[in-house]
Amino acid sequence: MSAIKRIFGLVWALMGVGIVPLVIKQAMKEIAAKPSEENWIFWSIVIVVLMPIIAFSLITFGVFALKGEYDTLEDI
Amino acid sequence: MAQNVRNVSPVEEVTSTRRVIAASSVGTLIEWYDFYIFGTLAKIISEQFFPKDNPTAALLATLATFAAGFVIRPFGALFFGRLGDLIGRKYTFLVTLVIMGGSTFAIGLVPGYKTIGFFAPAIVFLLRLLQGLALGGEYGGAATYVAEHSPAGQRGFWTSFIQTTATMGLFLALGVILIVRQTLGVETFGEWGWRIPFILSAFLVAVSVFIRMRMSESPLFVKMKKEGKTSANPLAESFKQKDNLKMVLIALLGATAGQGVVWYTGQFYALSFLQNACNVEFVQSNFIISIALLIGTPFFIIFGSLSDKIGRKYIMMAGMLIAVIAYRPIYTIMYNDANLKNKVEVVEKKDVQIKNAVKGADSLITTITTKTFTDGTTFKETVKAKFPVDPVLKAALTKDKLKPEIKKEVTLPKDLYYKMIGLVLIQVIFVTMVYGPIAAFLVEIFPTRIRYTSMSLPYHIGNGVFGGLVPLISTRLVEATRPGPGLPPADPLAGLWYPILIAAVSFVIGSLYISNKTNNMDVD
Repeated sequence: MSAIKRIFGLVWALMGVGIVPLVIKQAMKEIAAKPSEENWIFWSIVIVVLMPIIAFSLITFGVFALKGEYDTLEDI
Repeated sequence: MAQNVRNVSPVEEVTSTRRVIAASSVGTLIEWYDFYIFGTLAKIISEQFFPKDNPTAALLATLATFAAGFVIRPFGALFFGRLGDLIGRKYTFLVTLVIMGGSTFAIGLVPGYKTIGFFAPAIVFLLRLLQGLALGGEYGGAATYVAEHSPAGQRGFWTSFIQTTATMGLFLALGVILIVRQTLGVETFGEWGWRIPFILSAFLVAVSVFIRMRMSESPLFVKMKKEGKTSANPLAESFKQKDNLKMVLIALLGATAGQGVVWYTGQFYALSFLQNACNVEFVQSNFIISIALLIGTPFFIIFGSLSDKIGRKYIMMAGMLIAVIAYRPIYTIMYNDANLKNKVEVVEKKDVQIKNAVKGADSLITTITTKTFTDGTTFKETVKAKFPVDPVLKAALTKDKLKPEIKKEVTLPKDLYYKMIGLVLIQVIFVTMVYGPIAAFLVEIFPTRIRYTSMSLPYHIGNGVFGGLVPLISTRLVEATRPGPGLPPADPLAGLWYPILIAAVSFVIGSLYISNKTNNMDVD
């Protein structure tokens, strides 16, 4: 089980890293296609609020899992 | 635990715990009520406080304000969580209640955009931020306070009463809005009647503050303070120490993120979907949600109590998994049942009324078309078209400015109405599975000295950010499938991909990394 937890740790960390360019690329594409106020509001919320939270938490969690920090957490 | 601190009999302890639950729950319920009337009245608020030239922009602006209310919640969690761990639970969640009530009351008094221009949306925005801040501090305090009064082995049961308050708050908000709207009439409600639910909050909060003033501090906090064991810096202890940060992350990614999107999909998105995608009439759609919420609410207590016996993890993960699998089929049925393309019209019952009125410099033509279908469904379409009387003005206006205002309302027959209640109820059951045990789960993984701070942040990021953004992101996903302006979206269910993806990731993380909580956990 510990091995699976660690392998998945790598998956979470990579997901966290991968989401940043993916979101920024999509935002640039959509804003360039239609630079409307609603587009700006929407992508600002996603880039400033949602993306950093997802990226930071997945990367940190993934690194902890990869290092085996969650291997023996039987009390949670 | 509580029984070690207070020297009371078991009967007295149960009575005392019940009193604690009642006092905490009433206040938390009112805070949720305050928070949700804004979201429920999003459309009217956008008309009142944001420029009306572009209704989509106005609605999105309101949704952004709505999101701001949610996004600010984690900051409230940090600010008030820290206070709660430093000075105590009781006074902190008394302050949050007053801030929430004051802000809600003030929203009801702010003059509209027509009267004070840009100041109107600016003031509403600020008040909405205050609401979010207060809510961020409230829930963690109430859950911690109740849990610290509850005996071990029954924490899931007792804290589940706090868990019912969010749904009951939404139910209360919908109920008050419906009653006021029905009493005053649709037009008056749209003009000024919408302010009443906000103003009413002042009275509810006053009652709740009175009740909470009479409550005593959490026994665990009092004991810890006496022993000088309170944290000097709860923020640093919560998020800078690796051992605690690990717990915060697992609570967020493995539990609250998935729980947040399931919660908002089952209650808010379901209402928005009924009204916007299915065009179900306002009162009927609100009744569908309200009845489903009312029937579903006891399940918070059932699952909370069950989590004391079989563990928190299994129930929460099962709720997330079933939601992920069932959302698309459920919403497909909802959409098809309300879709007029699947129905046969009784042509001889079709009725068209045209009214022409002169309003100021405009000629206003209202066309009301009513159709009846063989299954009993009725459809009413109201088209309001403005034509300037002055030909020069008429020529100067663009096509967009002359665009008619169209309102579509589908009223479902009894059998489909009950079926819709059943379909929403299934989603509410998912909500109760993921949400019922979560307060006990969060309380038990953090120590008393930093519990308020530590549990509030993942809870409010999960619910406020991941969950609170469901309406905004889902609306956007549906809009992306629209082939062109004015055309119907190619996939009206596309909005579900966001909650499905987040709940699926949360399910995998929770299943892998969280062990099943048993009933003998103690909090210290």
